[in-house]
Amino acid sequence: MSLLTLRDLCVRLGRRTVVQPTTLEIGPGELVGLVGPNGAGKSSLMRAALGLLPAAGFSSLAALPAPERARAAAWLPQSREIAWPVSVETLVALGRHPRRAPGAPLSTMDRAAIAEAMARMDVARFAERPATELSGGEQARVLIARALAQAAPLTLADEPAAGLDPAHQLACMGAFAELAAEGRSAVVSLHDLGLAARFCTRLVMLHAGRVVADGPPAEVLTAERLREVYGIESFIASADGALVIQPLSLTR
Amino acid sequence: MKDSYPLLLAALSLLVALLFCASLLIGPAALGLGDSLAALLSGRGEAETLVMREIRAPRAVLGLMIGATLGLSGAALQGYLRNPLAEPGLLGVTGAASLGAVAAIYTGLSLVVPLALPLMALGGAALASLLLLGLAGARGGALTLILAGVALSALCGALTALALNLSPNPFAATEIMFWMMGSLADRSWLHVQLAAPFMLAGWAALAFAGRGLDALTLGEDAAASLGVRLDRLRLALVLGTAASVGAATAVAGGIGFIGLVAPHLLRRAVGARPARLLPAAALGGAALLLAADIAVRLIAPERDLKLGVLTALVGAPFFLRLVFSTRRRLA
Repeated sequence: MSLLTLRDLCVRLGRRTVVQPTTLEIGPGELVGLVGPNGAGKSSLMRAALGLLPAAGFSSLAALPAPERARAAAWLPQSREIAWPVSVETLVALGRHPRRAPGAPLSTMDRAAIAEAMARMDVARFAERPATELSGGEQARVLIARALAQAAPLTLADEPAAGLDPAHQLACMGAFAELAAEGRSAVVSLHDLGLAARFCTRLVMLHAGRVVADGPPAEVLTAERLREVYGIESFIASADGALVIQPLSLTR
Repeated sequence: MKDSYPLLLAALSLLVALLFCASLLIGPAALGLGDSLAALLSGRGEAETLVMREIRAPRAVLGLMIGATLGLSGAALQGYLRNPLAEPGLLGVTGAASLGAVAAIYTGLSLVVPLALPLMALGGAALASLLLLGLAGARGGALTLILAGVALSALCGALTALALNLSPNPFAATEIMFWMMGSLADRSWLHVQLAAPFMLAGWAALAFAGRGLDALTLGEDAAASLGVRLDRLRLALVLGTAASVGAATAVAGGIGFIGLVAPHLLRRAVGARPARLLPAAALGGAALLLAADIAVRLIAPERDLKLGVLTALVGAPFFLRLVFSTRRRLA
């Protein structure tokens, strides 16, 4: 069963084509890393897939009515916006919005999902504090917890690990990996190739709006391709049975 | 964790009820407490009954409804725009309704047809909401709505100034000036009947918008991904504000600061949740306006101190306090 199907999805902003016609399928149990340089079209591709950006072509999520789509996929935007000083728990509870009738109190299931999401992202101890008073990294974790509380089969996240300390970067990617192990899937855009190589079951590399590689991390992240796409020389090895990547210098 | 929200709403309701009664009992006609109640409820005493039923009761009812309108729409707009400085006047509806009223005074229509003034003000508000929706586009976000509102406010302000500038005689100019200050004096049940349907419809639209406002705490993209239909939300917000604030302005003139201050005072008490703020700010706005309308009668009973002048006088220092508290937080 496919969680997301894209057929020739294509995004134009003004005259520029930011995402070339893209065909992609995300199945259950996958942690897909979306990698590529700045401006490669990662965010546009995800937003178009969710129907948040007008696009040509087909996306199985964009085709759904809004309430149904909210139960099929969670979205974690790159901008970490928290407009009001609501408590952390209230913010995470917003993830339950698609599953609640208007004005209904939180059900036992809602409370369980909220508590589990807060525990996963290590924010339960802030539960009562105003979210706006937390540090940037803590806010990022609270927002990830909000997306997890949505309990959708598919989660799309735009650079969720940016700005987190190493321990919480690992915890964040670990949480997505756990989702994948449970049969739920996540599509995560990443700039940290090391994290991408270590946690993702599959990588999709974008370059100038086009998918240039799609497959297991070891096949996508080759020295040759990193040189072509990013213009960097990298150290590539393996440790603990997973790929290790360290960018070294710019290609001359 | 005990939820204090129902308690807060109950306390605010009680406060509004007390101020409503106070508004009924205070006025230039020196009536005793017993006489007033007897006149209001059983019609005992001809003059007293007239004062209570035809002068004070509509004034108190309008104060309650207009205050609630301003508080509610202020809270809804702040939630939608995610900006604590938003207020009902921002969308240009107040300006457009004022312009309609000014046109009625300027052309002398208000002297010929008794309800010309509020009707033309309502027309102005309706026109403004159509212009707003047209200008801001179908897919536009909060920013385009603010820009459209600012443009509309500026235009209405300029046209109002033009009307003053070219006013046929000093009396018309004075009348326009006084009307724009905002007041609840000498309003009748006719005004209540005219404004109430629009206000109730506006309240319903704004209440519908409430749930989406909570999700907007996370930004427009995240809210849309949570299933919130932003286009419908904005439509409800613009129409709700235009109907309720337009009607309020039509019968009472421009009354500032209530819509800004009421949500502010209560935000912390509701845990900053935009949807919960709506009913609280509506009650808070009603309390503030009733209190202000009582104050104008107590401070200068024979000078006809205008309600809008008083709310601005009290509101401005409040704004200063806001500046200081924001500065402290950023320091």
